[in-house]
Amino acid sequence: MSRPIEAENLTRTFGNLVAVNSINLTVEEGEVFGFLGPNGAGKSTAVRMLTTLLKPTGGAARVAGFDVASEASMVRKKIGVALQDAAIDPLMTGNELLRLQAVLHGISRHEGKQRCAELLERVGLTAAGDKRVGTYSGGMRRRLDLALSLVHQPKVLFLDEPTTGLDPTSRVALWEEVRTLNKEIGTTVFLTTQYLEEADQLAQRIAIIDNGRIVREGTPTKLKSDVGAPTLRVDVAESDFETAKQVMTKLGEERPARKGRIAIGLDGGTRAITSVLKSLEDQDIEVQHVELDEPSLDDVFADATGRRLEGGSDT
Amino acid sequence: MTTASTRNTSQLHVTVAITKRGLMRMRRLPSLMIPSIIMPIFFVVAFSGSFSSVVELDGYSTDKAVNWMAAWAILQGSAFSGLGGGGLTATDLENGFFDRMRAAPITPSALISGLVGYSVTRAVLPTTAVLIVSFAALDADMPGGLLGFIVAYLTAIGIAAVMSLFVLGIVFTMKTLKSLAIAQVVMFSTMFLSVGQAPLEAIQGWLYHVAKYNPITHVIRMGRQGFLGDVTWAETQPGFISLALLLIGSSLWARACYQKVDI
Repeated sequence: MSRPIEAENLTRTFGNLVAVNSINLTVEEGEVFGFLGPNGAGKSTAVRMLTTLLKPTGGAARVAGFDVASEASMVRKKIGVALQDAAIDPLMTGNELLRLQAVLHGISRHEGKQRCAELLERVGLTAAGDKRVGTYSGGMRRRLDLALSLVHQPKVLFLDEPTTGLDPTSRVALWEEVRTLNKEIGTTVFLTTQYLEEADQLAQRIAIIDNGRIVREGTPTKLKSDVGAPTLRVDVAESDFETAKQVMTKLGEERPARKGRIAIGLDGGTRAITSVLKSLEDQDIEVQHVELDEPSLDDVFADATGRRLEGGSDT
Repeated sequence: MTTASTRNTSQLHVTVAITKRGLMRMRRLPSLMIPSIIMPIFFVVAFSGSFSSVVELDGYSTDKAVNWMAAWAILQGSAFSGLGGGGLTATDLENGFFDRMRAAPITPSALISGLVGYSVTRAVLPTTAVLIVSFAALDADMPGGLLGFIVAYLTAIGIAAVMSLFVLGIVFTMKTLKSLAIAQVVMFSTMFLSVGQAPLEAIQGWLYHVAKYNPITHVIRMGRQGFLGDVTWAETQPGFISLALLLIGSSLWARACYQKVDI
Protein backbone atom coordinates (compact mmCIF):
# COMPACT_ATOMS: atom_id res chain seq x y z
CA MET A 1 0.00 0.00 0.00
CA SER A 2 1.32 3.40 -0.89
CA ARG A 3 2.28 5.98 1.68
CA PRO A 4 -0.11 8.84 2.54
CA ILE A 5 2.24 11.40 1.00
CA GLU A 6 5.01 10.84 -1.52
CA ALA A 7 6.70 13.57 -3.51
CA GLU A 8 9.42 13.08 -6.07
CA ASN A 9 11.35 16.05 -7.44
CA LEU A 10 8.28 18.20 -6.83
CA THR A 11 8.91 21.62 -8.30
CA ARG A 12 6.99 24.84 -8.72
CA THR A 13 8.24 27.90 -10.50
CA PHE A 14 6.61 31.30 -10.94
CA GLY A 15 8.36 32.82 -13.92
CA ASN A 16 12.03 32.89 -12.98
CA LEU A 17 11.33 32.29 -9.31
CA VAL A 18 11.75 28.70 -8.14
CA ALA A 19 9.45 28.55 -5.12
CA VAL A 20 9.81 24.80 -4.56
CA ASN A 21 12.92 23.21 -5.97
CA SER A 22 12.79 19.50 -6.66
CA ILE A 23 11.77 18.28 -3.22
CA ASN A 24 11.51 14.61 -2.29
CA LEU A 25 9.59 13.48 0.74
CA THR A 26 7.57 10.62 2.13
CA VAL A 27 5.17 10.65 5.03
CA GLU A 28 4.22 7.41 6.72
CA GLU A 29 0.74 6.30 7.74
CA GLY A 30 -0.34 7.80 11.07
CA GLU A 31 2.64 10.12 11.27
CA VAL A 32 2.74 13.80 12.22
CA PHE A 33 5.18 15.26 9.74
CA GLY A 34 6.54 18.75 10.35
CA PHE A 35 7.55 20.99 7.47
CA LEU A 36 9.69 23.66 9.07
CA GLY A 37 11.08 26.77 7.47
CA PRO A 38 11.09 30.56 7.54
CA ASN A 39 8.59 32.78 5.72
CA GLY A 40 8.99 32.48 1.97
CA ALA A 41 10.86 29.18 2.19
CA GLY A 42 8.29 27.40 0.00
CA LYS A 43 6.21 25.63 2.68
CA SER A 44 2.82 26.94 1.59
CA THR A 45 3.59 26.46 -2.10
CA ALA A 46 4.46 22.83 -1.37
CA VAL A 47 1.24 22.38 0.60
CA ARG A 48 -0.81 24.00 -2.17
CA MET A 49 0.64 21.50 -4.63
CA LEU A 50 0.05 18.54 -2.34
CA THR A 51 -3.54 19.64 -1.74
CA THR A 52 -4.17 20.03 -5.51
CA LEU A 53 -4.68 23.80 -5.30
CA LEU A 54 -1.59 24.51 -7.38
CA LYS A 55 -0.28 22.50 -10.30
CA PRO A 56 3.36 21.42 -10.05
CA THR A 57 5.59 22.62 -12.85
CA GLY A 58 7.89 19.64 -12.36
CA GLY A 59 8.11 16.29 -10.60
CA ALA A 60 5.19 14.37 -9.16
CA ALA A 61 3.38 13.77 -5.91
CA ARG A 62 0.89 11.22 -4.68
CA VAL A 63 -1.39 11.86 -1.74
CA ALA A 64 -3.52 9.08 -0.25
CA GLY A 65 -2.42 6.96 -3.20
CA PHE A 66 -3.57 9.37 -5.92
CA ASP A 67 -1.60 11.64 -8.21
CA VAL A 68 -2.13 15.30 -7.26
CA ALA A 69 -2.15 16.45 -10.87
CA SER A 70 -4.13 13.79 -12.73
CA GLU A 71 -6.34 12.49 -9.90
CA ALA A 72 -7.00 15.73 -8.05
CA SER A 73 -10.63 14.95 -7.34
CA MET A 74 -9.75 11.64 -5.65
CA VAL A 75 -7.06 13.38 -3.58
CA ARG A 76 -9.57 15.99 -2.44
CA LYS A 77 -11.92 13.28 -1.16
CA LYS A 78 -9.21 11.91 1.09
CA ILE A 79 -7.62 15.04 2.51
CA GLY A 80 -8.56 17.74 4.97
CA VAL A 81 -7.02 21.15 4.55
CA ALA A 82 -6.65 24.06 6.96
CA LEU A 83 -4.76 26.73 5.10
CA GLN A 84 -3.01 29.79 6.47
CA ASP A 85 -5.10 32.59 8.00
CA ALA A 86 -8.17 30.44 8.71
CA ALA A 87 -10.11 31.43 5.60
CA ILE A 88 -13.59 31.64 7.02
CA ASP A 89 -16.58 33.70 5.89
CA PRO A 90 -17.23 36.11 8.78
CA LEU A 91 -20.91 36.50 7.86
CA MET A 92 -21.64 32.81 8.35
CA THR A 93 -22.05 30.96 11.63
CA GLY A 94 -19.80 28.08 12.62
CA ASN A 95 -22.71 25.69 12.13
CA GLU A 96 -23.50 27.02 8.65
CA LEU A 97 -19.88 26.73 7.57
CA LEU A 98 -19.69 23.14 8.78
CA ARG A 99 -22.93 22.28 6.99
CA LEU A 100 -21.66 23.86 3.78
CA GLN A 101 -18.42 21.92 4.10
CA ALA A 102 -20.44 18.72 4.59
CA VAL A 103 -22.38 19.39 1.37
CA LEU A 104 -19.14 20.08 -0.51
CA HIS A 105 -17.96 16.63 0.57
CA GLY A 106 -21.16 14.84 -0.36
CA ILE A 107 -22.33 14.13 3.18
CA SER A 108 -26.10 13.81 3.52
CA ARG A 109 -28.11 16.44 5.39
CA HIS A 110 -28.90 14.13 8.32
CA GLU A 111 -25.36 12.81 8.65
CA GLY A 112 -23.93 16.27 8.15
CA LYS A 113 -26.03 17.66 10.99
CA GLN A 114 -24.78 14.96 13.32
CA ARG A 115 -21.14 15.40 12.23
CA CYS A 116 -21.31 19.17 12.68
CA ALA A 117 -22.64 18.83 16.22
CA GLU A 118 -19.90 16.33 17.08
CA LEU A 119 -17.16 18.48 15.62
CA LEU A 120 -18.35 21.64 17.31
CA GLU A 121 -18.28 19.76 20.59
CA ARG A 122 -14.86 18.32 19.84
CA VAL A 123 -13.32 21.75 19.28
CA GLY A 124 -15.26 23.34 22.14
CA LEU A 125 -17.45 25.57 20.02
CA THR A 126 -20.91 24.14 20.70
CA ALA A 127 -22.06 27.30 22.48
CA ALA A 128 -20.72 29.52 19.70
CA GLY A 129 -21.98 27.35 16.84
CA ASP A 130 -24.86 29.65 15.95
CA LYS A 131 -22.87 32.86 16.26
CA ARG A 132 -21.35 34.55 13.24
CA VAL A 133 -17.70 33.73 12.77
CA GLY A 134 -16.93 37.45 12.60
CA THR A 135 -17.45 37.52 16.37
CA TYR A 136 -14.98 34.65 17.04
CA SER A 137 -11.53 35.16 18.54
CA GLY A 138 -8.43 34.06 16.61
CA GLY A 139 -8.23 30.82 18.60
CA MET A 140 -11.91 30.03 18.00
CA ARG A 141 -11.45 30.61 14.26
CA ARG A 142 -8.51 28.24 14.16
CA ARG A 143 -10.45 25.58 16.03
CA LEU A 144 -13.37 25.99 13.65
CA ASP A 145 -10.94 25.81 10.74
CA LEU A 146 -9.68 22.52 12.13
CA ALA A 147 -13.23 21.23 12.55
CA LEU A 148 -14.02 22.20 8.95
CA SER A 149 -11.07 20.22 7.71
CA LEU A 150 -12.33 17.15 9.59
CA VAL A 151 -15.96 17.08 8.42
CA HIS A 152 -15.40 14.21 6.00
CA GLN A 153 -12.96 12.34 8.26
CA PRO A 154 -9.92 12.71 6.01
CA LYS A 155 -7.10 10.19 5.93
CA VAL A 156 -4.52 12.93 5.59
CA LEU A 157 -4.76 16.32 7.24
CA PHE A 158 -2.79 19.33 6.01
CA LEU A 159 -2.31 22.13 8.50
CA ASP A 160 -0.58 25.17 7.05
CA GLU A 161 0.86 27.24 9.89
CA PRO A 162 -2.13 26.47 12.11
CA THR A 163 -1.03 28.50 15.11
CA THR A 164 0.37 31.62 13.48
CA GLY A 165 -0.97 34.66 15.30
CA LEU A 166 -2.40 32.68 18.21
CA ASP A 167 -1.73 33.43 21.86
CA PRO A 168 0.26 30.78 23.77
CA THR A 169 -2.80 29.26 25.45
CA SER A 170 -4.68 28.83 22.17
CA ARG A 171 -1.54 27.47 20.56
CA VAL A 172 -1.11 24.77 23.21
CA ALA A 173 -4.83 23.89 22.99
CA LEU A 174 -4.53 23.40 19.24
CA TRP A 175 -1.43 21.25 19.66
CA GLU A 176 -3.38 19.08 22.06
CA GLU A 177 -6.18 18.68 19.54
CA VAL A 178 -3.75 17.69 16.79
CA ARG A 179 -2.11 15.12 19.09
CA THR A 180 -5.50 13.67 19.99
CA LEU A 181 -6.51 13.40 16.35
CA ASN A 182 -3.30 11.66 15.51
CA LYS A 183 -3.40 9.26 18.45
CA GLU A 184 -7.13 8.47 18.66
CA ILE A 185 -8.11 8.46 15.01
CA GLY A 186 -4.73 7.77 13.46
CA THR A 187 -4.98 10.71 11.06
CA THR A 188 -1.77 11.39 9.18
CA VAL A 189 -0.87 15.05 9.70
CA PHE A 190 1.29 17.22 7.46
CA LEU A 191 2.05 20.36 9.42
CA THR A 192 3.89 23.41 8.17
CA THR A 193 5.27 25.78 10.72
CA GLN A 194 7.89 28.42 11.28
CA TYR A 195 7.88 27.75 15.00
CA LEU A 196 10.67 25.49 16.21
CA GLU A 197 8.85 24.58 19.38
CA GLU A 198 5.74 23.58 17.46
CA ALA A 199 7.69 21.27 15.18
CA ASP A 200 9.57 19.83 18.16
CA GLN A 201 6.38 19.31 20.19
CA LEU A 202 4.19 17.80 17.51
CA ALA A 203 6.18 16.23 14.72
CA GLN A 204 7.52 12.71 14.74
CA ARG A 205 9.60 13.58 11.69
CA ILE A 206 10.65 16.93 10.31
CA ALA A 207 11.82 18.28 6.99
CA ILE A 208 13.52 21.66 7.04
CA ILE A 209 12.93 23.72 3.92
CA ASP A 210 14.88 26.78 2.90
CA ASN A 211 14.81 28.63 -0.41
CA GLY A 212 12.57 25.94 -1.87
CA ARG A 213 14.90 23.05 -1.02
CA ILE A 214 14.73 20.47 1.74
CA VAL A 215 17.98 20.91 3.62
CA ARG A 216 17.47 18.37 6.44
CA GLU A 217 15.02 15.57 7.15
CA GLY A 218 14.63 13.16 10.04
CA THR A 219 13.27 12.75 13.54
CA PRO A 220 13.84 15.76 15.81
CA THR A 221 16.16 13.66 17.99
CA LYS A 222 18.20 12.45 15.05
CA LEU A 223 18.42 15.90 13.48
CA LYS A 224 19.61 17.39 16.74
CA SER A 225 22.07 14.60 17.47
CA ASP A 226 23.52 14.97 13.98
CA VAL A 227 24.43 18.56 14.81
CA GLY A 228 26.46 17.46 17.84
CA ALA A 229 26.33 15.76 21.20
CA PRO A 230 24.49 17.47 24.03
CA THR A 231 26.62 19.53 26.40
CA LEU A 232 26.72 18.63 30.11
CA ARG A 233 27.71 21.48 32.42
CA VAL A 234 28.61 20.78 36.02
CA ASP A 235 29.44 23.10 38.92
CA VAL A 236 31.57 21.69 41.77
CA ALA A 237 33.34 23.16 44.77
CA GLU A 238 36.58 25.03 43.91
CA SER A 239 38.66 22.42 45.77
CA ASP A 240 37.23 19.60 43.65
CA PHE A 241 37.48 21.44 40.34
CA GLU A 242 40.68 19.91 38.90
CA THR A 243 39.76 16.35 39.91
CA ALA A 244 36.28 16.73 38.52
CA LYS A 245 37.67 18.09 35.31
CA GLN A 246 39.99 15.09 34.93
CA VAL A 247 37.13 12.67 35.57
CA MET A 248 34.74 14.35 33.19
CA THR A 249 37.13 14.89 30.27
CA LYS A 250 37.78 11.16 30.27
CA LEU A 251 34.08 10.69 29.52
CA GLY A 252 33.59 13.41 26.93
CA GLU A 253 35.24 16.11 24.91
CA GLU A 254 35.81 19.30 26.87
CA ARG A 255 33.73 22.27 25.80
CA PRO A 256 34.07 25.96 26.65
CA ALA A 257 32.49 26.97 29.95
CA ARG A 258 32.53 29.94 32.30
CA LYS A 259 34.97 30.04 35.21
CA GLY A 260 34.24 27.42 37.88
CA ARG A 261 32.14 25.26 35.57
CA ILE A 262 33.13 22.14 33.64
CA ALA A 263 31.48 21.34 30.33
CA ILE A 264 31.80 18.22 28.20
CA GLY A 265 30.09 16.87 25.12
CA LEU A 266 28.07 13.74 25.88
CA ASP A 267 28.91 11.51 22.95
CA GLY A 268 26.70 8.79 24.39
CA GLY A 269 23.74 11.13 24.43
CA THR A 270 21.71 11.99 27.48
CA ARG A 271 22.06 8.43 28.82
CA ALA A 272 25.70 9.17 29.59
CA ILE A 273 24.71 11.66 32.30
CA THR A 274 24.32 8.86 34.82
CA SER A 275 27.81 7.51 34.29
CA VAL A 276 29.33 11.00 34.55
CA LEU A 277 27.55 11.70 37.82
CA LYS A 278 28.43 8.24 39.16
CA SER A 279 32.13 8.74 38.32
CA LEU A 280 32.08 12.07 40.18
CA GLU A 281 30.38 10.46 43.16
CA ASP A 282 33.00 7.68 43.20
CA GLN A 283 35.62 10.41 43.65
CA ASP A 284 33.62 11.93 46.53
CA ILE A 285 32.98 15.04 44.49
CA GLU A 286 29.81 16.88 45.43
CA VAL A 287 27.96 18.18 42.41
CA GLN A 288 26.46 21.62 43.12
CA HIS A 289 24.68 22.22 39.83
CA VAL A 290 24.00 20.22 36.66
CA GLU A 291 22.84 21.60 33.33
CA LEU A 292 22.20 19.73 30.10
CA ASP A 293 22.10 21.69 26.88
CA GLU A 294 20.79 19.74 23.90
CA PRO A 295 21.16 21.12 20.37
CA SER A 296 17.90 22.76 19.29
CA LEU A 297 16.15 22.64 15.94
CA ASP A 298 17.40 26.18 15.52
CA ASP A 299 20.94 24.76 15.74
CA VAL A 300 19.94 22.23 13.10
CA PHE A 301 18.57 25.00 10.89
CA ALA A 302 21.69 27.10 11.45
CA ASP A 303 23.91 24.14 10.68
CA ALA A 304 22.06 23.55 7.41
CA THR A 305 21.61 27.12 6.21
CA GLY A 306 24.10 29.30 8.09
CA ARG A 307 21.19 31.36 9.45
CA ARG A 308 19.10 31.28 12.58
CA LEU A 309 15.36 30.67 12.26
CA GLU A 310 14.60 32.34 15.57
CA GLY A 311 16.09 35.72 16.26
CA GLY A 312 17.24 36.12 12.70
CA SER A 313 20.96 36.46 13.45
CA ASP A 314 23.50 34.71 11.30
CA THR A 315 25.66 32.07 12.86
CA MET B 1 -17.93 9.67 16.74
CA THR B 2 -19.92 8.75 13.66
CA THR B 3 -18.23 7.67 10.49
CA ALA B 4 -18.84 9.90 7.51
CA SER B 5 -19.77 7.69 4.62
CA THR B 6 -17.75 7.97 1.44
CA ARG B 7 -19.87 8.96 -1.51
CA ASN B 8 -19.72 11.08 -4.58
CA THR B 9 -20.55 14.69 -3.98
CA SER B 10 -23.84 15.70 -5.62
CA GLN B 11 -22.90 18.58 -7.86
CA LEU B 12 -26.50 19.81 -7.85
CA HIS B 13 -26.47 20.01 -4.06
CA VAL B 14 -23.19 21.93 -4.27
CA THR B 15 -24.68 24.41 -6.73
CA VAL B 16 -27.72 24.95 -4.52
CA ALA B 17 -25.57 25.30 -1.39
CA ILE B 18 -23.35 27.93 -3.00
CA THR B 19 -26.37 29.85 -4.28
CA LYS B 20 -27.94 29.74 -0.82
CA ARG B 21 -24.72 30.93 0.76
CA GLY B 22 -24.69 34.00 -1.51
CA LEU B 23 -28.31 34.80 -0.71
CA MET B 24 -27.68 34.35 3.00
CA ARG B 25 -24.80 36.83 2.80
CA MET B 26 -27.03 39.27 0.95
CA ARG B 27 -29.67 39.00 3.69
CA ARG B 28 -27.06 39.64 6.37
CA LEU B 29 -25.33 42.43 4.50
CA PRO B 30 -28.12 44.31 2.68
CA SER B 31 -25.63 46.89 1.43
CA LEU B 32 -24.57 44.22 -1.07
CA MET B 33 -27.97 44.49 -2.75
CA ILE B 34 -29.24 48.02 -2.16
CA PRO B 35 -27.31 49.68 -5.03
CA SER B 36 -28.61 47.20 -7.58
CA ILE B 37 -32.20 47.90 -6.47
CA ILE B 38 -31.96 51.66 -5.96
CA MET B 39 -30.04 52.36 -9.17
CA PRO B 40 -32.63 50.99 -11.65
CA ILE B 41 -35.52 52.53 -9.71
CA PHE B 42 -33.77 55.90 -9.80
CA PHE B 43 -33.09 55.34 -13.48
CA VAL B 44 -36.69 54.61 -14.47
CA VAL B 45 -38.09 57.46 -12.36
CA ALA B 46 -35.57 60.07 -13.51
CA PHE B 47 -35.43 59.19 -17.19
CA SER B 48 -39.14 58.58 -17.66
CA GLY B 49 -39.76 62.10 -16.36
CA SER B 50 -36.84 63.92 -17.98
CA PHE B 51 -37.28 62.30 -21.37
CA SER B 52 -41.06 62.00 -21.45
CA SER B 53 -41.28 63.56 -24.91
CA VAL B 54 -38.55 61.41 -26.45
CA VAL B 55 -41.13 58.77 -27.38
CA GLU B 56 -42.50 61.17 -30.00
CA LEU B 57 -39.43 60.34 -32.11
CA ASP B 58 -39.53 57.47 -34.62
CA GLY B 59 -38.70 54.00 -33.38
CA TYR B 60 -39.93 54.16 -29.79
CA SER B 61 -43.21 52.42 -30.63
CA THR B 62 -44.93 53.62 -27.46
CA ASP B 63 -46.54 56.78 -26.22
CA LYS B 64 -45.19 56.44 -22.69
CA ALA B 65 -41.50 56.94 -21.89
CA VAL B 66 -41.85 54.72 -18.83
CA ASN B 67 -42.68 51.73 -21.03
CA TRP B 68 -39.38 52.20 -22.84
CA MET B 69 -37.31 53.04 -19.80
CA ALA B 70 -38.74 50.36 -17.47
CA ALA B 71 -37.43 47.53 -19.62
CA TRP B 72 -34.07 49.28 -19.92
CA ALA B 73 -33.88 49.81 -16.15
CA ILE B 74 -34.80 46.17 -15.52
CA LEU B 75 -32.04 44.92 -17.77
CA GLN B 76 -29.49 47.32 -16.29
CA GLY B 77 -30.46 46.19 -12.80
CA SER B 78 -30.06 42.58 -13.92
CA ALA B 79 -26.66 43.27 -15.43
CA PHE B 80 -25.63 44.93 -12.17
CA SER B 81 -26.94 41.90 -10.24
CA GLY B 82 -24.66 39.81 -12.41
CA LEU B 83 -21.78 41.40 -10.54
CA GLY B 84 -22.97 39.61 -7.39
CA GLY B 85 -21.32 36.26 -8.03
CA GLY B 86 -18.16 38.00 -9.18
CA GLY B 87 -18.06 40.20 -6.08
CA LEU B 88 -18.55 37.20 -3.80
CA THR B 89 -15.83 35.29 -5.64
CA ALA B 90 -13.38 38.20 -5.52
CA THR B 91 -13.94 38.48 -1.75
CA ASP B 92 -13.49 34.72 -1.36
CA LEU B 93 -10.33 34.76 -3.45
CA GLU B 94 -8.87 37.59 -1.41
CA ASN B 95 -9.59 36.03 1.97
CA GLY B 96 -8.81 32.44 0.96
CA PHE B 97 -12.33 31.04 1.29
CA PHE B 98 -12.32 30.16 -2.38
CA ASP B 99 -9.43 27.75 -1.77
CA ARG B 100 -11.52 26.01 0.86
CA MET B 101 -14.15 25.29 -1.78
CA ARG B 102 -11.57 24.32 -4.40
CA ALA B 103 -9.99 21.87 -1.97
CA ALA B 104 -13.28 19.96 -1.84
CA PRO B 105 -14.17 17.30 -4.43
CA ILE B 106 -16.48 19.52 -6.43
CA THR B 107 -16.40 20.31 -10.13
CA PRO B 108 -15.64 23.81 -11.43
CA SER B 109 -18.99 23.72 -13.22
CA ALA B 110 -20.88 23.14 -9.96
CA LEU B 111 -19.01 25.98 -8.30
CA ILE B 112 -19.56 28.37 -11.21
CA SER B 113 -23.23 27.35 -11.50
CA GLY B 114 -23.75 28.13 -7.82
CA LEU B 115 -22.29 31.59 -8.24
CA VAL B 116 -24.38 32.21 -11.34
CA GLY B 117 -27.44 30.92 -9.47
CA TYR B 118 -26.81 33.54 -6.81
CA SER B 119 -26.51 36.34 -9.37
CA VAL B 120 -29.60 35.21 -11.23
CA THR B 121 -31.68 35.04 -8.06
CA ARG B 122 -30.47 38.51 -7.15
CA ALA B 123 -31.73 39.80 -10.50
CA VAL B 124 -35.32 39.02 -9.57
CA LEU B 125 -35.27 41.72 -6.88
CA PRO B 126 -34.47 44.81 -9.04
CA THR B 127 -36.74 43.48 -11.78
CA THR B 128 -39.64 43.22 -9.38
CA ALA B 129 -38.82 46.57 -7.75
CA VAL B 130 -38.75 48.39 -11.11
CA LEU B 131 -42.01 46.78 -12.19
CA ILE B 132 -43.74 47.75 -8.95
CA VAL B 133 -42.56 51.37 -9.15
CA SER B 134 -43.29 51.62 -12.89
CA PHE B 135 -46.82 50.30 -12.60
CA ALA B 136 -47.75 51.71 -9.21
CA ALA B 137 -46.24 55.18 -9.50
CA LEU B 138 -45.42 55.88 -13.15
CA ASP B 139 -48.50 54.50 -14.93
CA ALA B 140 -46.61 51.98 -17.09
CA ASP B 141 -48.47 49.63 -19.46
CA MET B 142 -47.85 46.02 -20.44
CA PRO B 143 -49.67 45.50 -23.72
CA GLY B 144 -48.00 42.11 -24.02
CA GLY B 145 -49.94 40.95 -20.95
CA LEU B 146 -48.74 38.10 -18.74
CA LEU B 147 -46.45 36.82 -21.48
CA GLY B 148 -44.80 40.25 -21.53
CA PHE B 149 -44.01 39.96 -17.82
CA ILE B 150 -42.71 36.42 -18.23
CA VAL B 151 -40.44 37.38 -21.14
CA ALA B 152 -39.18 40.43 -19.20
CA TYR B 153 -38.26 38.26 -16.20
CA LEU B 154 -36.63 35.57 -18.33
CA THR B 155 -34.60 38.16 -20.23
CA ALA B 156 -33.53 39.74 -16.95
CA ILE B 157 -32.42 36.36 -15.65
CA GLY B 158 -30.59 35.62 -18.89
CA ILE B 159 -28.75 38.95 -18.85
CA ALA B 160 -27.79 38.39 -15.20
CA ALA B 161 -26.42 34.94 -16.04
CA VAL B 162 -24.39 36.19 -19.01
CA MET B 163 -22.97 39.14 -17.08
CA SER B 164 -22.25 36.94 -14.07
CA LEU B 165 -20.25 34.48 -16.17
CA PHE B 166 -18.43 37.31 -17.92
CA VAL B 167 -17.53 38.98 -14.61
CA LEU B 168 -16.48 35.65 -13.07
CA GLY B 169 -14.00 35.20 -15.92
CA ILE B 170 -12.43 38.57 -15.17
CA VAL B 171 -12.37 37.88 -11.42
CA PHE B 172 -10.81 34.42 -11.90
CA THR B 173 -8.10 36.05 -13.99
CA MET B 174 -7.33 39.03 -11.76
CA LYS B 175 -8.20 37.44 -8.40
CA THR B 176 -8.99 40.74 -6.72
CA LEU B 177 -11.95 42.99 -5.90
CA LYS B 178 -10.38 45.63 -8.13
CA SER B 179 -11.34 43.47 -11.10
CA LEU B 180 -14.99 44.44 -10.51
CA ALA B 181 -14.27 48.00 -11.63
CA ILE B 182 -12.95 46.75 -14.95
CA ALA B 183 -15.83 44.32 -15.28
CA GLN B 184 -18.36 47.11 -14.69
CA VAL B 185 -16.84 49.36 -17.35
CA VAL B 186 -16.89 46.61 -19.97
CA MET B 187 -20.33 45.40 -18.89
CA PHE B 188 -22.07 48.76 -18.98
CA SER B 189 -20.30 49.83 -22.18
CA THR B 190 -21.75 46.75 -23.83
CA MET B 191 -25.19 47.55 -22.47
CA PHE B 192 -25.13 51.22 -23.46
CA LEU B 193 -23.80 50.52 -26.96
CA SER B 194 -27.15 48.96 -27.83
CA VAL B 195 -30.79 50.00 -28.21
CA GLY B 196 -31.18 50.17 -24.44
CA GLN B 197 -31.38 53.94 -24.29
CA ALA B 198 -32.73 54.76 -27.74
CA PRO B 199 -34.04 52.86 -30.79
CA LEU B 200 -31.76 52.29 -33.77
CA GLU B 201 -33.67 54.95 -35.71
CA ALA B 202 -32.50 57.58 -33.21
CA ILE B 203 -28.84 56.51 -33.18
CA GLN B 204 -26.35 57.95 -35.66
CA GLY B 205 -22.77 57.40 -36.86
CA TRP B 206 -20.59 54.58 -35.57
CA LEU B 207 -22.87 54.12 -32.60
CA TYR B 208 -25.61 53.02 -34.99
CA HIS B 209 -23.43 50.28 -36.47
CA VAL B 210 -22.18 49.07 -33.11
CA ALA B 211 -25.71 49.00 -31.69
CA LYS B 212 -27.05 47.21 -34.76
CA TYR B 213 -24.60 44.33 -34.47
CA ASN B 214 -24.40 44.23 -30.67
CA PRO B 215 -26.14 40.97 -29.64
CA ILE B 216 -27.39 42.72 -26.52
CA THR B 217 -29.61 44.80 -28.82
CA HIS B 218 -31.61 41.68 -29.74
CA VAL B 219 -31.79 40.61 -26.12
CA ILE B 220 -33.09 44.00 -25.02
CA ARG B 221 -35.67 44.01 -27.79
CA MET B 222 -36.84 40.60 -26.63
CA GLY B 223 -37.22 41.74 -23.02
CA ARG B 224 -38.84 45.03 -23.95
CA GLN B 225 -41.40 43.80 -26.49
CA GLY B 226 -44.18 43.18 -23.95
CA PHE B 227 -43.98 46.83 -22.81
CA LEU B 228 -44.43 48.06 -26.38
CA GLY B 229 -46.96 45.61 -27.85
CA ASP B 230 -47.66 41.92 -28.27
CA VAL B 231 -45.02 39.30 -27.63
CA THR B 232 -44.15 37.75 -30.97
CA TRP B 233 -41.83 34.95 -32.04
CA ALA B 234 -40.33 37.26 -34.70
CA GLU B 235 -39.10 39.60 -31.96
CA THR B 236 -38.27 36.80 -29.53
CA GLN B 237 -36.22 34.56 -31.83
CA PRO B 238 -33.21 36.87 -32.48
CA GLY B 239 -33.05 37.74 -28.80
CA PHE B 240 -33.32 34.10 -27.76
CA ILE B 241 -30.56 33.04 -30.17
CA SER B 242 -28.33 35.95 -29.10
CA LEU B 243 -28.88 35.13 -25.44
CA ALA B 244 -28.13 31.45 -26.03
CA LEU B 245 -24.90 32.30 -27.87
CA LEU B 246 -23.91 34.80 -25.20
CA LEU B 247 -24.54 32.17 -22.51
CA ILE B 248 -22.43 29.59 -24.32
CA GLY B 249 -19.63 32.07 -24.96
CA SER B 250 -19.60 33.46 -21.44
CA SER B 251 -19.73 29.94 -19.96
CA LEU B 252 -16.70 28.90 -21.98
CA TRP B 253 -14.94 32.13 -21.00
CA ALA B 254 -15.64 31.62 -17.28
CA ARG B 255 -14.62 27.96 -17.43
CA ALA B 256 -11.38 28.78 -19.26
CA CYS B 257 -10.53 31.59 -16.84
CA TYR B 258 -11.16 29.27 -13.87
CA GLN B 259 -7.97 27.45 -14.85
CA LYS B 260 -6.07 30.65 -14.08
CA VAL B 261 -7.07 30.61 -10.42
CA ASP B 262 -4.21 28.29 -9.49
CA ILE B 263 -1.55 30.25 -11.36
